Amino acid sequence: MENYINNYIKKSLKLLQNLPGKEIAKAINILQATYERDGKIYVFGNGGSLSMATHWVADFNKTVFSHHLDKNVRRFQAIRLPTTEAEITAWANDVGFEMIFAGPLRNYIKEGDTLIAISSSGNSPNIIKAVELAKEYRIPIIGVSGFDGGKLNEMADAKICVKTDRGEYELVEGIHSVILHLITKYFKNYFDYLEENLEKS
Amino acid sequence: MIIVRAPLRISFVGGGTDLPGFYRQYPGKVISAAIDKYVYVAINPAPLVKGITARYSITETVNEVSLLKNNRIREVMLDLQISDNMEIGVFSQLPVGTGLGGSSAFTAALFKGLSTTIGKRLDKKEIAENACRVEIDLLKEPIGKQDQYASAFGGFNIFQFNPDETVEVEPVLLDYKRRMDLEKHMLLFFTGITRQASSVLSEQKTNISNKFETLKSMTLLVDTFKKELLKGNFEALGELLHKNWLKKKQLASKVSNQVIDKLYEAGIRNGAWGGKILGAGGGGCILFLAPFNKKESIRTAMKRVSVKYQLENFNEVPVKFVQSGVEVISNSLLK
Repeated sequence: MENYINNYIKKSLKLLQNLPGKEIAKAINILQATYERDGKIYVFGNGGSLSMATHWVADFNKTVFSHHLDKNVRRFQAIRLPTTEAEITAWANDVGFEMIFAGPLRNYIKEGDTLIAISSSGNSPNIIKAVELAKEYRIPIIGVSGFDGGKLNEMADAKICVKTDRGEYELVEGIHSVILHLITKYFKNYFDYLEENLEKS
Repeated sequence: MIIVRAPLRISFVGGGTDLPGFYRQYPGKVISAAIDKYVYVAINPAPLVKGITARYSITETVNEVSLLKNNRIREVMLDLQISDNMEIGVFSQLPVGTGLGGSSAFTAALFKGLSTTIGKRLDKKEIAENACRVEIDLLKEPIGKQDQYASAFGGFNIFQFNPDETVEVEPVLLDYKRRMDLEKHMLLFFTGITRQASSVLSEQKTNISNKFETLKSMTLLVDTFKKELLKGNFEALGELLHKNWLKKKQLASKVSNQVIDKLYEAGIRNGAWGGKILGAGGGGCILFLAPFNKKESIRTAMKRVSVKYQLENFNEVPVKFVQSGVEVISNSLLK
């Protein structure tokens, strides 16, 4: 049993060590730029990735500013797609499952916004549909993928791919969660530092 | 109405190597960063209001695009084949001629805004390429390509200008702490002297062949600047600015003058590690990197020189770096 556990941890560690730091930095810069222009950030994925998108939105919209919630007039505007469960079934039932993200995205999307697509395979048709819509609008795309990155990694501006063998969902999703938390922590520290410096000057 | 904004920029080292006379023989390279000062363009398509009105330092109304005196608005409209009645207004947070790339930010904002009115969505690269084409190929201005790219892309970047006209964009990935610490070590002053970049650059352009080695050595400073920046070695960055400034002064007689030299000396004498005139030179803004505890005495000294030389519009310009480039910030024409 302990061997099994150690083996899993070893694999996770190796993946963490090989993460593309530059691409994560690019993603952070994209989010910084989106904040400056008051743009919105759309996040989505299938299954566990959708849960992660929801989790990240809650952290990013609130926790980033948790030390000075009243001071920051401008906040992040991260939105999980779709925003309601009803929209998932409405689009899936009436139009087709491949439209559950792109359909609701069209309601909001504007130039100046940003997309974060989370997909282990990087090839889910419903993910790619939304990424194609974002491409049409020329908005930046942060691709959070696994395996070989698939189409998502090819199309993304920030190519965050956790490279593994096909089907390693657990390992990939675990690392995805670390990356998303890293991004949240970065901005939390940034706004704390900004606040400290404002107080000093 | 469509409102577009495009950031100005601070160019650290390598300026001048973005001129075709140089980069067609040897790749040019600059490192620069967008700042939180913007040029805004507002476009109001008004079919029932006769004519095309351009509002900038003056207001002109014409019946045909080709009659517009404002060469940038005219060329961008002609290039995009837009001839409908409309009003175009320009608003800038800083005066013209500050050496912060305002003219090219204006062209980038215009191209973004006018292409949006005809339903075209262009990305940063396309905006930069088109702004360069309009200014250099169509308007025949003797300028380089770095400002159009800096404004379109936003953020901290190294731009490499290749002989085949392609431009490589390498983002310099600074974390918030490094970025803000650099801001804290910077001082930027508007000298109050405005000049047209083209007057300095025309001479510089004819000098390229004899200054080739100087320009080549300036491209080499770019990677060193990046390395020291990532390390947070601000003193070394100041020294690199100083080296670059000495080289830059050799490029053309009008890059510096007596007043600029006095301002620069006052900054260095009072503790700045280094600095430079931003943009083509001859006036505009002067940048210093200095220890935090020397900033106040540099301010006082600069003020004194400005009074002595009666620089009425002399002022400090507080700046922060920004990541976002040219953007449509409001569009009420969406259907």
